Amino acid sequence: MTSSPRIKVELYYDVVSPYTWFSFEVLCRYRSHWNMDLVLIPFFLGGVMKASGNKPPMTVASKGMYMQKDLQRNAEYFKTDIKLIEDPYNVLVQKGSLRAMRFLTAINLHCPKHLEGVSRELWRRIWSKGEDIVADDSLIMAAKEAKMEENDIEKCLSKMDDSETKNALKMATEQAVDYGAFGAPTIVVHTKEGPEMFFGSDRFPLVAQMMNEIWKGPIPDQKSKL
Amino acid sequence: MAALVRTKVELFYDVVSPYSWFGFEALCRYRPHWKMDLVLRPFFLGGVMKETGNRPPMMVPSKGLYMQKDLLRNAAYFGVPLKLIEDPFHVMIEKGTIKAQRFLTAIGEKHPEHLEGVSRELWKRIWSRGEDIVEDKNLHLAAKAANMEDVHIQECLKLMNDSSVKLALKKSTEDAIEYGAFGAPTIIVHSKGHQEMFFGSDRFPIIAQLMNEEWKGPSPGPKNSL
Repeated sequence: MTSSPRIKVELYYDVVSPYTWFSFEVLCRYRSHWNMDLVLIPFFLGGVMKASGNKPPMTVASKGMYMQKDLQRNAEYFKTDIKLIEDPYNVLVQKGSLRAMRFLTAINLHCPKHLEGVSRELWRRIWSKGEDIVADDSLIMAAKEAKMEENDIEKCLSKMDDSETKNALKMATEQAVDYGAFGAPTIVVHTKEGPEMFFGSDRFPLVAQMMNEIWKGPIPDQKSKL
Repeated sequence: MAALVRTKVELFYDVVSPYSWFGFEALCRYRPHWKMDLVLRPFFLGGVMKETGNRPPMMVPSKGLYMQKDLLRNAAYFGVPLKLIEDPFHVMIEKGTIKAQRFLTAIGEKHPEHLEGVSRELWKRIWSRGEDIVEDKNLHLAAKAANMEDVHIQECLKLMNDSSVKLALKKSTEDAIEYGAFGAPTIIVHSKGHQEMFFGSDRFPIIAQLMNEEWKGPSPGPKNSL
């Protein structure tokens, strides 16, 4: 019996974005449920915003207020342990995630098997424990939590400021913008008819519809509701 | 046996908004399925935007492009016969929906049993058949298609220009803004003595979670009678 080819699904993500964490976990959970080849691609949301002329939602006051509730409700729905950031302007805008995304890009280039684990630990630091993700020490701690070996951590840390890494991050960001991205998460489903871009963590029923798969809610392994 | 306490759910909507149509149909379909008291509240999206400093998504070009695909995917998902508007700036901004929303407000006051039907017919005109909803004769056609009697239609067409109706529409819009609205649809779930605001047509699984109900997708089918 021939098996049909796996559909490539790219997740363009930046750890500054909590909605992206929800999508990341869902897609990781669905790897064993959907005929999918999941490709994780670190990109830089700041670069996407600049290229597309978009602005973060918090720039409209009532959207910012709504987002606090929306994040907590979604965290419960997706079973992800989100804690609202106390000083969002400082953490998300002033400190930002450029170094974290360069670190992840270096990992993707040199130790890709750790990409998922370190991404998750970085999200935990910023969006669950309120910890820094800019300082080298912070990046090292996240990588250690993800069971990366010391010499691999050193290697990726030393390469993250290389032009090779910077270019790779830039190219991933430009690739997403070419697909029409204006935010994060950006999910690109490579169907037979061509690439289809989806934005956000609330389009999984539509992604499933496109892939002819079944959406069983955010926790597919348990008998639960949509 | 405990008395059936229905949860009041208010839907603030403007027929200029296609996502509101999806939300509207989903909530109407769930009336027999959820312990819900659905209250339809026409409001004026233009007023909400002005007051909150928000802007329609099309103002970011790549968002506008994405929205075309997103609308068609959602239309298929929700089973709603949506057709993209060919000249959106002219129809949605230059012509707009203030008259349609005033008409609906008048109907909500004088003949509320027709509010659902006429709302649907107005959506069908603008968002399914590309027909005008500004001229009186076109509002009349929509109401007729919803089986409203001529004399009642005339009454509402006359009333819609009264200051009482203009004020009622203004009040409905202000009520929504007070709940934290910045767009449409805005759904208010009155639960356990407080109000929870939801934006968009993509939060139904989370609304169900809040209401302790089950979300069975956009087409729950007829209620099984035991």
